[in-house]
Amino acid sequence: MSRILEINQLSKHFGGLKALQEITFHIEEGEIIGLIGPNGAGKTTLFNCVAGVDKPTSGQILFHQKDKTVSVGGKKPEIVTGLGIARTFQNIRLFDNLTVLDNVKIGRHCRTKSTFFGAVLHTRAQQEEEKAILDSAQNFLAFVGLSGRDDDVASSLAYGDQRRLEIARALATEPRLLMLDEPAAGMNARESRDLMNLILSIQRRGVTVLLIEHDMKVVMGVCQRVVVINHGLWLAEGQPHEVQNNPKVIEAYLGSGAAGAA
Amino acid sequence: MLLEQLINGLTLGGIYALIAVGYTMVYGVIQLINFAHGEVYMLGAFFALTFINLLGLPFYLAFLLSMVCCAVCGMLLDMVAYRPLRRSPRLAALITAIGMSIFLQNLAMIIWGSRPLPFAQEAVPAYFEAKAFTLAGVSLSWFQLFIFGVTIIMMTGLNLIIKKTSTGRAMRAVAQNKTMAALVGVNVNKVITITFALAGAMAAAAGIMVGVYYNSLYPTMGYIAGVKAFAAAVLGGIGSVPGAMLGGVVLGVAEALGAGYLSSLYRDGISYAVMIIVIVFIPAGFFGKLIRETKKSL
Amino acid sequence: MSQSQARFLKRGNLVKLGLLALTLILPLLPYVSEYLIHVVILILLYMILALGLNIVPGFNGLLDLGYVGFYGIGAYTSGLLTVHFGLSYWAIIPLAFMNGAIWGILLGAPTLRLTGDYFAIVTFGFSELVCLVLTNEIWLTRGPLGLPGIDPVSIDLSWLGGPRWELMGPEVGEVPYYYLVLAMVLVTVFVMNRIQNSRLGRAWFAIRDDELAAVSCGVNLLTYKVIAFAISAAFGAVGGSFFARWVTFLSPDMFKFWESFLILCMIVLGGMGNIWGVMLGAAVLVSLGEILREILPWLGLPAEVRFLAFGLIMVIVMRYRPAGLMPIPSVARQMEAARVKRKRVKTPGFKA
Repeated sequence: MSRILEINQLSKHFGGLKALQEITFHIEEGEIIGLIGPNGAGKTTLFNCVAGVDKPTSGQILFHQKDKTVSVGGKKPEIVTGLGIARTFQNIRLFDNLTVLDNVKIGRHCRTKSTFFGAVLHTRAQQEEEKAILDSAQNFLAFVGLSGRDDDVASSLAYGDQRRLEIARALATEPRLLMLDEPAAGMNARESRDLMNLILSIQRRGVTVLLIEHDMKVVMGVCQRVVVINHGLWLAEGQPHEVQNNPKVIEAYLGSGAAGAA
Repeated sequence: MLLEQLINGLTLGGIYALIAVGYTMVYGVIQLINFAHGEVYMLGAFFALTFINLLGLPFYLAFLLSMVCCAVCGMLLDMVAYRPLRRSPRLAALITAIGMSIFLQNLAMIIWGSRPLPFAQEAVPAYFEAKAFTLAGVSLSWFQLFIFGVTIIMMTGLNLIIKKTSTGRAMRAVAQNKTMAALVGVNVNKVITITFALAGAMAAAAGIMVGVYYNSLYPTMGYIAGVKAFAAAVLGGIGSVPGAMLGGVVLGVAEALGAGYLSSLYRDGISYAVMIIVIVFIPAGFFGKLIRETKKSL
Repeated sequence: MSQSQARFLKRGNLVKLGLLALTLILPLLPYVSEYLIHVVILILLYMILALGLNIVPGFNGLLDLGYVGFYGIGAYTSGLLTVHFGLSYWAIIPLAFMNGAIWGILLGAPTLRLTGDYFAIVTFGFSELVCLVLTNEIWLTRGPLGLPGIDPVSIDLSWLGGPRWELMGPEVGEVPYYYLVLAMVLVTVFVMNRIQNSRLGRAWFAIRDDELAAVSCGVNLLTYKVIAFAISAAFGAVGGSFFARWVTFLSPDMFKFWESFLILCMIVLGGMGNIWGVMLGAAVLVSLGEILREILPWLGLPAEVRFLAFGLIMVIVMRYRPAGLMPIPSVARQMEAARVKRKRVKTPGFKA
């Protein structure tokens, strides 16, 4: 397996606050890797740096494509998505007032190209592209299990369905690396199990997954490797059960002197 | 010549500052550009005109009375037009503000006619015209000193209120975070009303002084002065009171110098140009905080 | 009939078809005076302007307070090209479109990265500057004296050896202008409709709804906002070009802030973002203006009072129906949320 993403000495400071300090790890292509740590550890900040929402203070983020390697740090988010890195948000950011189908269609934006003139002049190319967008959007919806709800308004969906819609939209951008930010938050046991199956089927499609998650059942269930960060510092890394039993990790979550984690 | 323009500019600037502060305070507490503020300024001048010309009241009494009336006008504007829309999308409040501005302008036109009106000559203190002293070949009249004096007193007073009183503290709290201010017991509506009252009173003072200075009042005088004062508020950083004061002075001087040396035709255009250039290159203005774009609607 | 035919005939479309048929035959109906035709032409012109403005706040969620600037630029370009070069209106339409788009790009590119309120202020400043330039650059525009003698639109086939028709004249009145502007409205509606259902329109709606999410789907905010602003400006300019060749006289005070406000009210009143709502808003407000102009003298008030009435009406409408007459569902929902919140916050002791 080859590496798809390398994070080297990544630091992000917000004024005096050191959100990330020289974080270093890599992701192999095709794996599902978990990023865990207590609240405020810097996990979402790391996502934001990779996705281009925040500019790293120092360090490198290297994205390996088929024939070249691109340094992704500091690039604009729309460029990063175009390169093949997609992400979901901790607080679900759907286009609330648009339909389910439109949400996913917008995900196709970076892989399509019709313009004003194509739209107005209704060219053959534009018509074909619209048909392709419709078909692929519906495919992605079917893949996450949201078929038949095309014209429902996104904000009317149940919470779990909204999460799946957000994932469908992210998949529509045809990423090679998908970053999920606490996808299981607020889900019950059954929904979490469905989510785990979804993540595994995403992996089977050839997409690499980087997962921030607090729900340890999900992390144990799907991740092949886990990276732990705390207070912006790399703490531990390894297979899920190794990390689970690592005393430093236990201390980070439960405080010093705690033994026997969940 | 330069000194003369500078003095003109400072005089003008003081007036703009008085109006600009009103815009910036209201924006600070409810994030609304009070388009009707210029009309309160205009009404201040016309109230004074009515008190002096029609009721024969002495100048200083009319001045104070007009300030009180405009404070009330400001409060009414908030209570009747803006408060019901506190939770509505901002565009609705903005349209209401513009609508009130148009309403008041035309109301004034109906009541007082659209031809420029002067103050009754006898009523305005005669010594205003007289020269107070001469500075390097340029003479200042008592009235210019009066304008400087009033401006400085009001700015200082406002600063004291905002920094030292509990009301001022409440105003600053509401400007930072309305919900939290309410949760710690601040009566947010009362604070907003007081803000409008202060803004109205100062605008009235500005209006009367301008009316006496040019000795000509007309119903649309609020529009152009309002836009320039607003440009000053933006220049200083919208939401910042010291910024509005400084912005007013800077804009006044820029306008006087520009009109004197560049082009008097584009005297008004200088304000617009300054405003656009400042916003594009330094969006936060002198002292403002950059308004972060949140997921809020129009 | 086929399923798609059946869907097409649902009630909304029937109403629209009926209205279209009515407008097509309007000048031929009895009791239709020249004044009525004139007013309907005005309504149709404002529909074009309102549809153009709708792109920015309606589709993109940005506030544009300076639309009259583009309207004025388009009008004066059209007027000056006609007066100095005798250009045919059919050449002017695309020129006005492009000119408007260029100005939209020039103004939009440096300013659309600003947050909402600041952008609104800059557009306002821009339109005021345009008005100042129109007033002061007398060598170009004749300033306050106005620009008279603009030729009316004509269809000139004389270069092919054919006839030449002027679109205005004693026998036909303004009826040919009526059909011209009606055609322009239909083209505008067609364009707006096609944009709405395209990748471009979806990108705009995404920006309007959630900029961060839009960006994560690959939408470059600045590019798309500038495109929106440019197209909006282009339509404003085209409307202006028609205005110049219709009233054949221009003066700077026709292009003051009041027009920007008026058109903004049309789209808010009609239902921002909704093509048909916006057209309805244009019809309602232009008609209201004319009705007020007629009624007020009857009530013993001078006709200028209609501005006062107008301001008051907008305040009242914003108070009770801020979503407008035909809101798109998202705007209606926002209003509902606002109303519900207002009812809930009646806890004693806190007056927030």
